Amino acid sequence: MSHTYQVGTPLEEVAVKEVSFEIKNQSFTAIVGHTGSGKSTLLQHLNGLLKPTSGYLTINGHKITPETKNKELGDLRQEVGFVFQFPEAQLFEETVLKDIAFAPKNFGKSEAEALEIAREKAKLVKLPEAVLERSPFELSGGQMRRVAIAGILAMSPKILVLDEPTAGLDPVGRFEMMELFKQLHQKEGLTIILVTHQMNDVANYADHVLVMEEGQLIADTTSKELFSDPSWLKAHHLSLPQTTDFAYQLQQRGISFETLPLTEHELARFLAPKLNQRGKIDG
Amino acid sequence: MGKLLLGRYLQGNSFVHRLDPRAKMILCFYFVLIVFLCNNWQTYLLLSATTLLCAVLSKIKLSYFIKGVMPLIWLILFTVLLQVFFTRGGTVYWQFGPLTLTQFGLLNGVFVFCRFVLIIFMSTLLTLTTPPLAIADATESLMAPLKKIKVPVHEISLMLSIALRFVPTLMDETTKIMNAQRSRGVDFSEGSLVKRIKAVIPLLIPLFVSALTRAEDLATAMEARGYRGGEGRTKYRRQIWQLKDTVSLVFFGLVTVGLIFLRN
Ligand SMILES: Nc1ncnc2c1ncn2[C@@H]1O[C@H](COP(=O)(O)OP(=O)(O)O)[C@@H](O)[C@H]1O
Ligand SMILES: [Mg+2]
Repeated sequence: MSHTYQVGTPLEEVAVKEVSFEIKNQSFTAIVGHTGSGKSTLLQHLNGLLKPTSGYLTINGHKITPETKNKELGDLRQEVGFVFQFPEAQLFEETVLKDIAFAPKNFGKSEAEALEIAREKAKLVKLPEAVLERSPFELSGGQMRRVAIAGILAMSPKILVLDEPTAGLDPVGRFEMMELFKQLHQKEGLTIILVTHQMNDVANYADHVLVMEEGQLIADTTSKELFSDPSWLKAHHLSLPQTTDFAYQLQQRGISFETLPLTEHELARFLAPKLNQRGKIDG
Repeated sequence: MGKLLLGRYLQGNSFVHRLDPRAKMILCFYFVLIVFLCNNWQTYLLLSATTLLCAVLSKIKLSYFIKGVMPLIWLILFTVLLQVFFTRGGTVYWQFGPLTLTQFGLLNGVFVFCRFVLIIFMSTLLTLTTPPLAIADATESLMAPLKKIKVPVHEISLMLSIALRFVPTLMDETTKIMNAQRSRGVDFSEGSLVKRIKAVIPLLIPLFVSALTRAEDLATAMEARGYRGGEGRTKYRRQIWQLKDTVSLVFFGLVTVGLIFLRN
């Protein structure tokens, strides 16, 4: 599919150019690329906020073409939960609980049912019981974001689309947020599609990676594969995860790896025996 | 939401771009006044030629100007139709109840249409070739004499620049929040009137919250950098009146003379 903004005006701009890819059910897919490479544009097609200007996409059996009517998109919007960048901007209700219950009410649940779901989702995203009756505007940034995410989860989506969900959070908040998505992926069986600039998160959580550059898809691969080629990443001005970068630098100083490790765990497992050996020789 | 062309600046380095913003503002307002002096096809022709000349000098494609007219096209057509059907005089071509289609009516319709288009073209030219902040600065400079009678000129101009600066930001914000609420099942375009008005609440509240937060941040940032109002404040961007600005004024003066000569 392709997407062009403002077709037929002097400000016409091709944001996504003839990309074609497949995302498996229950996978954890990361989309990376520089600012302006078309990631958000691509993402907004996944729940029909944007329609392709040419080509088509199929999500959970819903086919979206340039001619698809907005009316046909109701089910899709419910199946694909979309968490925008800085999602706390969508909060508006008087209490946290009511805000989380907003989406299920829109999709036809009764007030009582919606509140029930809201309570359950608030627990899922680890919001303390005490804040549920407070105004969402009194919470901390990280808590507001949890409320917003719970508000999306309340639609019981099968696919969760996240546009830079950890932007602006402190390291602890970021870690907790990513652990939450991991849990949703593993325990709730959600398909996760995540846009991020954090290569560490790609390495630690994603199994499938799409790389965008100037509206085009330049890589469709696994995270293992992607980070095994540091020179390709460098050529496209992308960074390595910390661990892989460390291992890469070790490799250049003569320690050879079969494949570059992605996580601290893998690196530790590889290095520990070697360090032990060294210890024996030195000792 | 990039549809609004009125108020959009296009970078460039043409003759019109380089004119002093104050000259451009004076000329734009002056032009709107003299458009009302037109009363026959010769005078309209003269001003159309003037407008065209300015547009060519700006090196901006004509399509941008036409885009500027489009948002107002219904208002224009409505006014034109009123003129066409309710002006009497000259040969009558067609009549139905109070509606008449006459020679003068048609002529008036065409004139009103030209008047609208000329005014919109000229103001679009001003905004396309002048950055919003330069317009705000020019306003302050042109209104400076009003300080004598205690008009808060600097504050007005500051409000104007802040408003202009945040229009695109707020429009982006609106699109974003609308999309976020659409993703939560809100339908902004369908349903009964009551339903649609209700759908606006989840849009307006976040919008107000973000506008207020932004205003507060801005105020803090300004105070932190020692902003104390207009007293004794100098400008970073100085506007300098040059020969070409005077020449432009003289040119419009000549056009006015021609206009008075041609009108009947
Ligand atoms: N609403 C819009 N109207 C016009 N152009 C847009 C709009 N949104 C994004 N773009 C343009 O499309 C391109 C891709 O933007 P985006 O998808 O937001 O990239 P990313 O999310 O990777 O930073 C950019 O060049 C941007 O300027
Ligand atoms: Mg983006």
